[in-house]
Amino acid sequence: MRNRPLLRTSYNQELALLDTTSKKVAVGILLAVGVALPWLVEDQLLQLIGLACVTAIGAIGLNIVTGYAGQVSLGHAFFLAIGAYTAAAIAGDPDARTIGFGVREILIWLPAAGVVAALAGVLVAPLATRLRGLYLAIVTLGLVFIGGHVINEWSSLTGGPGIGRQPPAPTLLGYDLNTGDAFLTRDQKLYLLMLVLLVIAALAARNLARSRVGRAFTAIRDRDIAAGVMGVNLARYKTIAFGVSSFYAGCAGALLYVGIGYFDPTTFNLLLSVQYIAMILIGGAGTVSGAVLGAFLITLLPRLIREVPSFLPFISNSPAESPNAYQLETVLYGVLIIVFLIFEPRGLFGIWIRLRNYWKAWPFSY
Amino acid sequence: MTIADLVRQHAERTPDAVAMREKHRGIWREITWRDYWRTAETVARALRSLGVQPGDRVAIQSENRSEWLFVDVATVAVRAATVGLYPTNPPDEVRHMLADSGARILFAEDQEQVDKALAVLDDCPDLEWIVYLEPRGIRGRYQHPKLISWSDLLASHEDAEAIELRSSGDDVATLIYTSGTTGRPKGAMLTVDNVDFAIRVLIEGGGFSDPPPGPRDLTLSYLPLCHVAERVFTVWFNAAAGVTVHFGESIATVQADLREVQPTILFGVPRIWEKMMAGVTIRLAGASLIKRSNARLWLRVADRIGATLEANGGRHTTGSRLRYAIGWLLCYRALKERIGVRRVRYAASGAAPIAPDVLRFFMGIGVPMYEVYGMTENTAISTANRPGRVRLGTVGEAHSGVEIRIADDGEIQTRHPGTFAGYFRNQAATAEAMTPDGWLRTGDVGVLLDGTHLKITDRSKDIIITAGGKNVAPSEIENALKASPFVKEAIVIGDRRAFLTALIGIELDTVGEWAQRRGIGYTTYRDLSGKPEVVALVQGVVDAVNAGHNPVEQVKTFRMLPKELDHEDGELTATQKVRRSAVATTFEALVDDMYGSKV
Repeated sequence: MRNRPLLRTSYNQELALLDTTSKKVAVGILLAVGVALPWLVEDQLLQLIGLACVTAIGAIGLNIVTGYAGQVSLGHAFFLAIGAYTAAAIAGDPDARTIGFGVREILIWLPAAGVVAALAGVLVAPLATRLRGLYLAIVTLGLVFIGGHVINEWSSLTGGPGIGRQPPAPTLLGYDLNTGDAFLTRDQKLYLLMLVLLVIAALAARNLARSRVGRAFTAIRDRDIAAGVMGVNLARYKTIAFGVSSFYAGCAGALLYVGIGYFDPTTFNLLLSVQYIAMILIGGAGTVSGAVLGAFLITLLPRLIREVPSFLPFISNSPAESPNAYQLETVLYGVLIIVFLIFEPRGLFGIWIRLRNYWKAWPFSY
Repeated sequence: MTIADLVRQHAERTPDAVAMREKHRGIWREITWRDYWRTAETVARALRSLGVQPGDRVAIQSENRSEWLFVDVATVAVRAATVGLYPTNPPDEVRHMLADSGARILFAEDQEQVDKALAVLDDCPDLEWIVYLEPRGIRGRYQHPKLISWSDLLASHEDAEAIELRSSGDDVATLIYTSGTTGRPKGAMLTVDNVDFAIRVLIEGGGFSDPPPGPRDLTLSYLPLCHVAERVFTVWFNAAAGVTVHFGESIATVQADLREVQPTILFGVPRIWEKMMAGVTIRLAGASLIKRSNARLWLRVADRIGATLEANGGRHTTGSRLRYAIGWLLCYRALKERIGVRRVRYAASGAAPIAPDVLRFFMGIGVPMYEVYGMTENTAISTANRPGRVRLGTVGEAHSGVEIRIADDGEIQTRHPGTFAGYFRNQAATAEAMTPDGWLRTGDVGVLLDGTHLKITDRSKDIIITAGGKNVAPSEIENALKASPFVKEAIVIGDRRAFLTALIGIELDTVGEWAQRRGIGYTTYRDLSGKPEVVALVQGVVDAVNAGHNPVEQVKTFRMLPKELDHEDGELTATQKVRRSAVATTFEALVDDMYGSKV
């Protein structure tokens, strides 16, 4: 009812994503800024923000399996790799040194990358139904090493370490997104593509989370035995969690290097998985907005640190001197993770929730 | 016009408008006027086929819910009289009320009420049917020839011919049992004309709120509907003015329901307002430093605003309005939202005397608060404070068309078309309640201030005459004590005694919270109220109240009640009023102790 947001006359009102006016306004402003950004910032930064959008898609994916369903996965890099090479192979140049089928339509290679990764995820899922916690983490860690070995050796697909290959060059319904034209530069086009895909991915994840499936995930995370007793089919929902998460990872992997234009098989290592874990921990496990925030922070962190020497002259921008910005970056990753785990386990999103609740309860504390 | 006519009128004019909302499994289910009238008509047909004749009585014992209204309207539609029983009535009182009223049908809410009715069935020969609303625990387990379920009853009477509405002004529309602080409850007969007059004066005439209530107003129905006040604010406001009524999940969820509904018109008995004020105090005590200091500051300002309003009859001055505006931004708006009174445009306290401090608190934070006065026997029509002419400590001015006089012995008497038709099957009591020249004896003692505002001293039966011959009104002292968030019950004693004493019951929530913050461990209510720290706390409250009274009216000593007073144990009436005689007997030892040690 008007003026009485709590007087709910149907369950749909309780489930609404944008249930208050302030949320609607905030999301509207955010979207407007997102769309206007290509004309506000230079292309180089835009490419980085586009990369952050794609990373966010991947983080949302990891968040589904780890944040919502509580299954710790260190194998995210493996699924990213599957997506990246599936897409690259489908869209690649048939005449090039590496495998390629020359289908450059994004509507084909992007879902294909997701589906192939999802299939891999479903294959891995039976492990998750058997194992829990630390054991599952170790097994998924194994995936990264096996996957890493395969892509390093399969040089007809990946180009081999140190050489690499080109990522897919996207065209949308025949419109070339990989080159600039009279209206938009290449980076502007790619950024807008990534932004739209992020919005779709985030919305889909929110919808999943508030549905029957999402509630089953949360039940499993909070206590899998209790969830099983309540009638949640553990095997089925863990499989769904891995499948959906891997689909997101596959799509993110396919798009991850489009902006840069080159990628190398050695990038899909344990460090990449750990970075994604860091994103959802810092952003806030179990929330879509948290995953997006975390992805943006981790992706933009190197760029932000590049600015530090201008404020703190004793830190150098040159790798040859010490202390330098690169060292600071490495240290900051660790510090951020430790600080968040100790002081704000719910991440950046948790800080926001705390702030909001502070004012929500005003003038009381509870 | 009966309430049945009024409901039908709404159903014809605005069939799709929402008449009421009922919280069911987390959402507010809407009932339109069309649904309302259709169901009421079905119930009316069912009543007829069960053999209800004009002049019969139909009883209902249920918490507030839409079915209560359906039954009430249907009963009036078939020219019978509704008898409301409190859900808390113990079997003994149920027996008295059912037997006394001779109700032919009882609508019982659930298994609990059905059990009570079945237990006393043998003493109620007139009772032919018991209709239960909630089948849980009954269906499939109870085999009694007189039992019938609500849904079956409705299902078998749908889609028949429309009910023809006929009525006469002398028809008894409802039988309202008085709470009975002194004796057995008596059934006051209110006729169709009485109700009609009440609607004209209180609703259409804007006797309470200004502008009069309308379809844009919302109310939350939470006090027992068997009481005349809640009947006015729920059933009659709804039927006459189209106010949307809301039924929460239960009396226990009132706080949460208020927050969700944010009603525009809110009636409460003093206990509700006291509890709300105590709730603010506890929650503030537990708030963080910044929030606490902010709220304390603005509540102090609110006190001053309240005092200014009091001095100006409820109107703002420029200064107080300015202070209120700043406070609204920083505190009052949010505070009112939390306790569910943000959109209240008219709040009333009645049915029992209230301490002016409580009223001032609510006025200060911006809730337009008015104390009103009325009783069952005059259809709740006597006096009310009016916007802009508020005088705290008085119950306000007489409504238009109402005559008020103070008899020689100080008793307040009223005369108007709303005066009841008498007690049901009790000529003697009826004669006692009326003067020979047709005035209603209210049993309250009071004075008229400046010839307009009525100030009530006390119930005449409760006035204490001390051994020294002084007249003392205990309720004023009791209310001053109860205005403290720590005191739930206070019973001042001293009739024919040398000095005043009091029995004091603590408010478990607030005192418990208070004890917890001081690290005082406790187990039960009895344990807590016996703690020396708690006794000292209450002593402080008593001392503060004594400071404002002259020596004769000071409470010399007090004892803590070892248990919470309860309706089931006969210490309270169904409306939570204290039965002094019962309390005096139950806690005789405590009373004797207070006088024994000092006399």
